[in-house]
Amino acid sequence: MIEARDVSVDIGGKRIVGGVDFDARPGEIAAIVGPNGSGKTTFLKALSGELAYTGTVTLNGRNLSAMKPVEVAVQRAVLPQATTLSFPFTVREVVKLGLVGGRSGALPGEDARLPERALARVDLDGFAGRFYQELSGGEQQRVQLARVLCQVWAPVLDGRPRYLFLDEPVSSLDIKHQLIIMNIARDFARRGGGVVAILHDLNLTAMYADRIFVMHRGRLAATGSPREVLSDDLIEKVFDCRLKVGVLPTGNTPFVLPQSAA
Amino acid sequence: MADQSIAGPAGVMMAGEGDRSGRARLVIGLSCVVLALAVFLSLTSGASDASAVKVVGDWLSGAAPVDAALDARDRLIVYDIRLPRVVLGMLIGAALAVSGAVMQGLFRNPLADPGLIGVSAGASLGAVSVIVLGASVLLPVTALFGTFALPLAAFCGGLTVTLLLYTVATRQGRTSVATMLLAGLAMAALAMALTGILIFMADDRQLRDLTFWQLGSLAGATWQKIGSVGPIIVLSLAAMPFLARGLNALALGEATAGHLGIPVQRLKYTAIVGVSAAVGASVAVSGGIGFVGIVVPHLLRLLIGPDNRYLLPASALLGASLLLLADAVARTIVAPAELPIGIVTAIAGAPFFLWILLRKRGIVDL
Repeated sequence: MIEARDVSVDIGGKRIVGGVDFDARPGEIAAIVGPNGSGKTTFLKALSGELAYTGTVTLNGRNLSAMKPVEVAVQRAVLPQATTLSFPFTVREVVKLGLVGGRSGALPGEDARLPERALARVDLDGFAGRFYQELSGGEQQRVQLARVLCQVWAPVLDGRPRYLFLDEPVSSLDIKHQLIIMNIARDFARRGGGVVAILHDLNLTAMYADRIFVMHRGRLAATGSPREVLSDDLIEKVFDCRLKVGVLPTGNTPFVLPQSAA
Repeated sequence: MADQSIAGPAGVMMAGEGDRSGRARLVIGLSCVVLALAVFLSLTSGASDASAVKVVGDWLSGAAPVDAALDARDRLIVYDIRLPRVVLGMLIGAALAVSGAVMQGLFRNPLADPGLIGVSAGASLGAVSVIVLGASVLLPVTALFGTFALPLAAFCGGLTVTLLLYTVATRQGRTSVATMLLAGLAMAALAMALTGILIFMADDRQLRDLTFWQLGSLAGATWQKIGSVGPIIVLSLAAMPFLARGLNALALGEATAGHLGIPVQRLKYTAIVGVSAAVGASVAVSGGIGFVGIVVPHLLRLLIGPDNRYLLPASALLGASLLLLADAVARTIVAPAELPIGIVTAIAGAPFFLWILLRKRGIVDL
């Protein structure tokens, strides 16, 4: 379990995140949604120990700020929005960096084959020998996810749940791969891990999230299940946009929903 | 280049596609052979005619004396002139190449080189300070540290520049290449100006000592010099392999390296201190020898990829070989006089540097 209480982050004297309470439970996908600049990424960076914060964050009962980087890395892996590489690594070499901490949780002897298996899961079979820098943005994002999966291959290690932090994991992906990635997240949660994901697509969020945290101007505007949170009023208030939840468009406008995928 | 598979010839590697560790081990093995050849060449060539055959004969004569043994004069040349020069050349070549590779990993850019961005200039300033002021203002320092005063001062000069540079060029884990190169240029100019003031103050005898600093040279290598800088170089080189995994992770950015469990701050400071010590010690005995730190790691990355676990040892071996060969050229091309080795490495290295720039214009994203 990850518990954040009254977490605030100031950057350059400006309050970016203020007084956020947040829980991520094993077995669940916790989605953070909100408009651009609402502090989602900043909050996730505080949660992953990358930014200084006030308030308290505990990771499986231990105070995050008292843990060493290597201890934190055993319990959670982080997928950033985008990752640029400074040297010509192959895809396999990048994915293998996820094993640098040595606690993937895979069976003994399996680590060597893990990069290939992780790449297969993100639908990048056969990409191991390609150069990372020559891939498209969406492919690079999936390579990074494969790396992150290697880091916490087993969703539970030593009896403790582990967590995936995903910052907009599907924003540069086509719809097929959006669904593949979200299914990986759901599978990770079902096997006992926890997932924290920043998402922009409200339909995907409604489909996959167990709990939604809506952020607005650095604060928490609402928390709850998709059914509780996704209401016309809240969306209009937070996103400043008149949208109707669960109403089919009038006229002949075609529409495509991920929910309709078989 | 697109879609080019980088796996070796079929059957050579058992491991999966995209795994270059087998090829890396092969290149490291070959580098050992190249280094052995370079050592042999350096020991057996030179203005004197202490020939290869004689030297080998002398080694063998330890067990059973043979006619081919060296006479006293040749023995002096080989063991007290050529051998220390070879040992020093290997130490410095390895130090410069590994420092370049580590610095490139730290700054996340293949153009970072101690000589290019002012670290060597800072080290020179430290060294020249001791030479010129060692008998006056800095007397307490030279009295306290003896022969170690020179490398120590060079280390402090290099360290100051590296720390300043890192502070200036890196914001929130991202290093601006343009800022790094330009700030390095500014700091090199400042260090050289201050060095110029010291040279202006120097007397004739000191001036002679100073001349070789500007150009870089392995001439005047003695066992005593090796004794004063050897331990520093060996120690800092021995520490570098422990940074390899961390530097690999750092290629993904500081934040991501931290998420993978790397203690990033400790890694950065260890790398900075290690590089400054190695470069400082090298500059203290041989002056500014440029481009080794940029050419060797770059060539090796083309061959075996950027994995520092292989890149660092391979750089040490190939850097040592390259400097020995450059020194052989410097000693023989205008024999019986000799060219400062810094000129040789610059003539070969500067066009190479331009070639990297032309090939990969994207590297400097001004």
